[in-house]
Amino acid sequence: MIHMAGVSKIYSNGSVALSDISVAIDKGDFVFIVGPSGAGKSTFIKLLFREELPTSGELYVNGRNVAELEPSEVPYLRRGLGIVFQDFRLLPNKTVYENVAFAMEVIESPRREIQKRVHHVLDLVGLRHKARNYPGHLSGGEQQRVAIARAIVNNPTVVIADEPTGNLDPDTSWEIMKIFERINKAGTTMVMATHDKMVVDGMKRRVIAIEQGRIARDQEGGQYGYES
Amino acid sequence: MKVRTTEYFIREAFSSLRHNGLMSIASVSTVALSLLILGMFLIMVLNLNHMASTLESQVQISVYLQDNLKDQEIREVGTRITKIPGVVQVTFVDKDQALARFKQRLGEQQGLLAVLGDTNPLPNAFEVKVDKPERVKPAAQAVAQLKGVENARFGQEIIEQLFTLTKMVRLIGLALIVFLALAALFIISNTIRITVFARRKEIGIMKYVGATDAFIRWPFLIEGMILGFSGAVIAVVLLIEAYTLLTGQIYQKLVFLPLIPKYPFLTYVSILLIVAGTVIGALGSTISLKRFMKV
Ligand SMILES: Nc1ncnc2c1ncn2[C@@H]1O[C@H](COP(=O)(O)OP(=O)(O)O)[C@@H](O)[C@H]1O
Ligand SMILES: [Mg+2]
Repeated sequence: MIHMAGVSKIYSNGSVALSDISVAIDKGDFVFIVGPSGAGKSTFIKLLFREELPTSGELYVNGRNVAELEPSEVPYLRRGLGIVFQDFRLLPNKTVYENVAFAMEVIESPRREIQKRVHHVLDLVGLRHKARNYPGHLSGGEQQRVAIARAIVNNPTVVIADEPTGNLDPDTSWEIMKIFERINKAGTTMVMATHDKMVVDGMKRRVIAIEQGRIARDQEGGQYGYES
Repeated sequence: MKVRTTEYFIREAFSSLRHNGLMSIASVSTVALSLLILGMFLIMVLNLNHMASTLESQVQISVYLQDNLKDQEIREVGTRITKIPGVVQVTFVDKDQALARFKQRLGEQQGLLAVLGDTNPLPNAFEVKVDKPERVKPAAQAVAQLKGVENARFGQEIIEQLFTLTKMVRLIGLALIVFLALAALFIISNTIRITVFARRKEIGIMKYVGATDAFIRWPFLIEGMILGFSGAVIAVVLLIEAYTLLTGQIYQKLVFLPLIPKYPFLTYVSILLIVAGTVIGALGSTISLKRFMKV
């Protein structure tokens, strides 16, 4: 599913974000990427959806050789991924429904399928009743649930999230994690970068700790392991 | 491409045109101005060319005879002219015929001739045609040497001047057109850049969820094309109005000036300008997308 071998990332300003990372993540896994600020977590996530290219090493995602992907192939790589950010990234002038439907419209899905799928994923995140609301009228947790609905609406095989609970209070964070757990149970691989100790310790999943761009620990049912 | 997708592109394009109000108007105006000037030069150059070649194809030598020749002498001059190399046709025009033709060419203004009373100032003449334009000059010189010939004239100088003028107008026009096309390109790409900037969040999300670059580009491309097309249409309307007015005036006042008839000439010019405008629009938005959005 995700396969990295000897991956390094050095930004053009010379800062070494990742060095010699090797990891395998299988279908259906639920993985936390943890580590202190500046450790390289976001860079790790960005490599997966080819926001950044690895400087060296091998990287396969869903069977695609991401390091050598043609630019024209990138959209098709991303159609197999659902991406969730800390800052939600919703369009303020579109309703909840339209925000989610947008992800299907821009890959030219048939209209009837869009309606069906959007209602289905809004049910899944518990926001069907807010379909006509605008993001500005929703709480942070609700906005993140809309973003998650948008991320999964195209049936990705992997959902990747960078600090998805970073802007949320503990109770709301926990709700979000329950939704991710449900998505993962249905067979979707989850990769989540976070430095939220409570979330990691509570979920008891595989934890990959990165420190100064290197893997410091890779452990099933792991703990956060830092003072956050 | 699916019908619904096309609808989506056009809706997006129009919505950002509205959103950009003033910039859109500025872009359309610049394109209109550029194409208007381009069109004016085009029409001018083509007309000058047309005039020059019409005149050239009509080049003939007018041989004016001395006033006191007898019929027999006139006939002799005619025969000698026929023997000059290159001469293909010699027509005798007596002074009465010449006056009648002159009246006809003056059309509505023939009242001017009233001052002449019953006198006829025009001489007897031969009209001589040659086979090739470059033979006109030597033939005219040969004719002028003949006994009984007052003088021999031809329009070579006017034609040469016309061609020189055409070349000059073409050069100035070309420089101006290149400059204005660049200005139009610049302002359209700026307008699109504003749209791209206003929509950067949307474009970002489109990229994350796997929209292709082509899909992201289309609405902007359409927006640019609409801007260019609208500018071109304005330029075309103005040009057609102006040309109609001008030809009307010229036909009334300057009877001899051979202008290209309005149709289908203006149809071709219009098509050319509209294609040019649309291409400039598309190019402008492509530049913006490449530079500012990397899509
Ligand atoms: N676009 C960039 N250009 C240059 N350096 C960067 C860029 N993004 C991240 N970095 C650097 O790479 C390192 C890892 O950053 P990041 O992956 O964002 O870490 P984390 O998400 O764990 O906080 C940091 O030193 C950071 O300054
Ligand atoms: Mg980060």
